[in-house]
Amino acid sequence: MSTGFQAVQWNRAKIVYDISLASGVTLYIGGYMTMARALAAPGKMPGWDDLRIQAFGSCAFFMISIILAIGPLARINPRFLPLLYNRRHFGVLAFCIAALHGYFVVDWFALRGALPDFWGEITTASNYAKFVGITIKPLGIAALLIFFIMAATSHDYWLNVLTPPFWKALHMMIYAAYGLIVMHVALGLMQHDYSPAIPLVLGGTSGTVALLHIFAGLKERATDAGLAPDREGWITVGPPASISDKRAKIVAAPGGERIAVFRDGGRIGAVSNLCAHQNGPVGEGEIIDGCITCPWHGWQYKLEDGRSPPPFKEELATYRVRLREGVIEVHAGPLPPGTPASLVVPA
Amino acid sequence: MRHSHRKAHRLIWPLLAAALLAGVTMALILRPPPEKTALQAEVAERLA
Repeated sequence: MSTGFQAVQWNRAKIVYDISLASGVTLYIGGYMTMARALAAPGKMPGWDDLRIQAFGSCAFFMISIILAIGPLARINPRFLPLLYNRRHFGVLAFCIAALHGYFVVDWFALRGALPDFWGEITTASNYAKFVGITIKPLGIAALLIFFIMAATSHDYWLNVLTPPFWKALHMMIYAAYGLIVMHVALGLMQHDYSPAIPLVLGGTSGTVALLHIFAGLKERATDAGLAPDREGWITVGPPASISDKRAKIVAAPGGERIAVFRDGGRIGAVSNLCAHQNGPVGEGEIIDGCITCPWHGWQYKLEDGRSPPPFKEELATYRVRLREGVIEVHAGPLPPGTPASLVVPA
Repeated sequence: MRHSHRKAHRLIWPLLAAALLAGVTMALILRPPPEKTALQAEVAERLA
């Protein structure tokens, strides 16, 4: 929650997450450089300036693949949600690693006094008029620019300024960046390194990421199809007991936003499923200390009226609920955010 | 995520997956054959 804008708060989970990230990256890069030299054929020992380009480049590719896999994994199985909490730190670190990869490439040319060649390769128009043999550096530079925009706007300040829907749409540019990276490798490294491991790892990793997204999308299709409301706009939710205590049942009208219908003992309330923070799925969270708690970053709202407890000022749209012949129904039309609309049902 | 974001995801990923599959496959098929080493060239010459 925040009172409009809130500085980054550190907690134990974030520190553990960041230490794990830093350790993983250090181990990967150190391990890659050590193993590559240890396994090199006699007389073909790669130089450190080549190795650091490969190590940081491949590390950035794997990091971005993992970042992209976290979202669908969390939608498929809530056990992956802890990985989502601090994904922005993961993204900023991936940008730093990718930027270092880019710097090492430029430095490689600079060390050989060949910066004009680097510039010439990028600016020669004929280098773009082919598929195989195309200069791959602009693909990497374009991806890096996208990562820069995302890293620079990753803070909650920008989330507030840009609003969650626009911020989310802006950050969906990562999909284009990922496509650029895959082709950067396919038309770069894969063209002169004939090891079967390159296409296998590239295809396997990017294919897994794509399949996870497609699978998660199909899984959620049924919920998004929605339930047709009756003539007055009421949607059937089910008997009160069909909603687990302190949890929610998520429903939607066809083409409409999802509605989270929570039960806290005998009280039933319905709020928008979109958290005011990052549009996270509040309905997948639970009621903690009497408040609906978003599973993504812990933002909280009161069940009665969708308002954050003082001193916080966020509000969610609420929905009218009613008990009709032992069945809970929710009205598809949202009420203004913060409108009291909950109901107490007999035990 | 909003309904529109989920809808966009469902549209983008199959397209992106197909584009990447085509791109990587073409890059693999069209890549030039590896240059022969001196030993391979010598063996090939003798066999010929």
